Amino acid sequence: MIDLKNVKKIYHTGGEELIALNDVSLQIKKGEFTSIMGPSGSGKSTMMNILGLLDRFDEGSYILNGQNVSSLTDNESAHVRNKEIGFVFQSFNLMPRMSILENVELPMVYAKVSAKERHERAMIALEKVGLANRVKHKPNEISGGQKQRVAIARAIVNQPAVLMADEPTGNLDSKTTLEIMKIFQDLNADGTTVVMVTHEPDVAQYTKRIVSFKDGRLMDDQLVENPIIL
Amino acid sequence: MKANFKMALDSIFANKMRSFLTMLGIIIGITAVIAILAVGNGATSQITGTFNDLGASTISLSVSDKAIKADYITKADLQTMKDSIQKLDYISPDARLAGTITSDFSDKSVIAYGGTTDLQFTNQTMKNNLVYGRYFNQNEYDDAKNVAVISEDGATVLFNGRKDVVGEKINISYRGTALSLKIIGVTASSQESTVGFFDAENMPVFIATPLTTLETLNPELGNLDSVTVKVSSKDDIDSVSKQMVRLLETRHEKVGDDLYSATNFLQSLDQIDSVLGLFINFIAAVAAIALVVGGIGVMNIMLVSVTERTREIGTRKALGATTNTILFQFLMESVILSLIGGIIGLVLGILLANGVASALDIVPSITPGAVILVLLFSSAVGIFFGIYPARKAAKLDPIEALRYE
Repeated sequence: MIDLKNVKKIYHTGGEELIALNDVSLQIKKGEFTSIMGPSGSGKSTMMNILGLLDRFDEGSYILNGQNVSSLTDNESAHVRNKEIGFVFQSFNLMPRMSILENVELPMVYAKVSAKERHERAMIALEKVGLANRVKHKPNEISGGQKQRVAIARAIVNQPAVLMADEPTGNLDSKTTLEIMKIFQDLNADGTTVVMVTHEPDVAQYTKRIVSFKDGRLMDDQLVENPIIL
Repeated sequence: MKANFKMALDSIFANKMRSFLTMLGIIIGITAVIAILAVGNGATSQITGTFNDLGASTISLSVSDKAIKADYITKADLQTMKDSIQKLDYISPDARLAGTITSDFSDKSVIAYGGTTDLQFTNQTMKNNLVYGRYFNQNEYDDAKNVAVISEDGATVLFNGRKDVVGEKINISYRGTALSLKIIGVTASSQESTVGFFDAENMPVFIATPLTTLETLNPELGNLDSVTVKVSSKDDIDSVSKQMVRLLETRHEKVGDDLYSATNFLQSLDQIDSVLGLFINFIAAVAAIALVVGGIGVMNIMLVSVTERTREIGTRKALGATTNTILFQFLMESVILSLIGGIIGLVLGILLANGVASALDIVPSITPGAVILVLLFSSAVGIFFGIYPARKAAKLDPIEALRYE
């Protein structure tokens, strides 16, 4: 599903070179649920941006779902993001003026799906996260946990190859965190590949595999021995 | 497309006050442009219309001051010109005699026009729009019959309010000579062109008679120093004018002496038109500057909007929006903003034009072309001033944009 080989990413800031990722190789198979961990500055965010095709890298190769995505144009990246990747952000990033339904429909607008099909598929996605009854509300009318569930519905609505979550529980209390992790686990159980960046070790315990970064290098990669199933 | 349109409207309506203030520049600009064009065109067509009534296809043929008696235009000249110049429709002198008119009931001052039977087509005051009776004919002209056509107003004044005075007698006296005339026709009053010169009390009675008849009161009237000519089409004015002058010069053996000249209302009309046009263009240019200022307002608010929505743009890009999608979204927003301003301005402009026009007593002229032009122009303002902010939004780096607080 994800095959990253010898990837190197260098930032040029004021004449100085900062190696954000150094010779990183990572394979993630279909159906995995992987945590990416590490302290700030370790390269985990850069890793996430590269996996999500939001950023380019300087050396190495990246094959996503059988397609070489190592050097795409901006527009090609946008299309791949739209079809193959679902993003979930720490601060939800919902469109404040659009209703919940319209928010979930948005990726399909960019995929040029017809209005009727958009509505049907958005409703199915909202049902999966348990929010089918609040579709007309605006994001500021619902709780943080509900916002993140809308964001997850938006991320899965185009049936992407991989769901990328960047600190998805960072703005949530512990009870809501469990609710969100359960949704990820349920989606994963249905076959969705999930990659999640987190700095909380206990949240990582709900996933099946933990990849750790330090100083731009992949330091540790192991399966979670007894993942907590919610 | 539809989704984009809705998004643009949502965002405009989300900040109603701000959007309205932004539109205000465009609204004022378009209101001014529409009102000025409508009132200006209305005034122009009114003036043009007046001149056309007065006879855009009328030529005034006159004899120079230097001329001696033998150079004056004769009745035979008139006949020859009418017979030999093809495009010449009507030709008549409008010899004028001011005297006193008397009926059985009262007396008044009179202006009597003397002409050929074509007088009914060349004279503005005594046109052939008859309410009773008829105009004088060729026989009456040839035989100098004592007949007259009177205006409706004149009849009312002379005959105690009666209008149908066909068959009645009137007396005209001029310098001690008197002439009794039988009324054969009454024309509808159409004295707009002369009404301004007299107040109602001193308004003279207007009558028309054969020139030959009028000559019995004043033989000098037969020496014509000016005649009026009508052609059917404006295009014939030049050629007919030249032919008439040449013919007169030949007949009076004065070729090249520059004694005869032909002038036309159209020439003065062109001048007035171009002065008025210049004025309209000048004011329209000032209004266009207002529009540009409005456009800068749109650009300013769009730049603010792009900055405010940086995270939104980053999210949209992450969800798969391409550079063009973002560009189009923001461009649509600025165009809709300008277009709504344009439409409001159009409505206000039409209202303003109607108000001003009714105060000035003219009919405002708003052409479909002007409406389309305004809509196109305000869209163009939206595109022109929206392209920079939209490009700025579209080119945002998604990672930077997502990180923006």
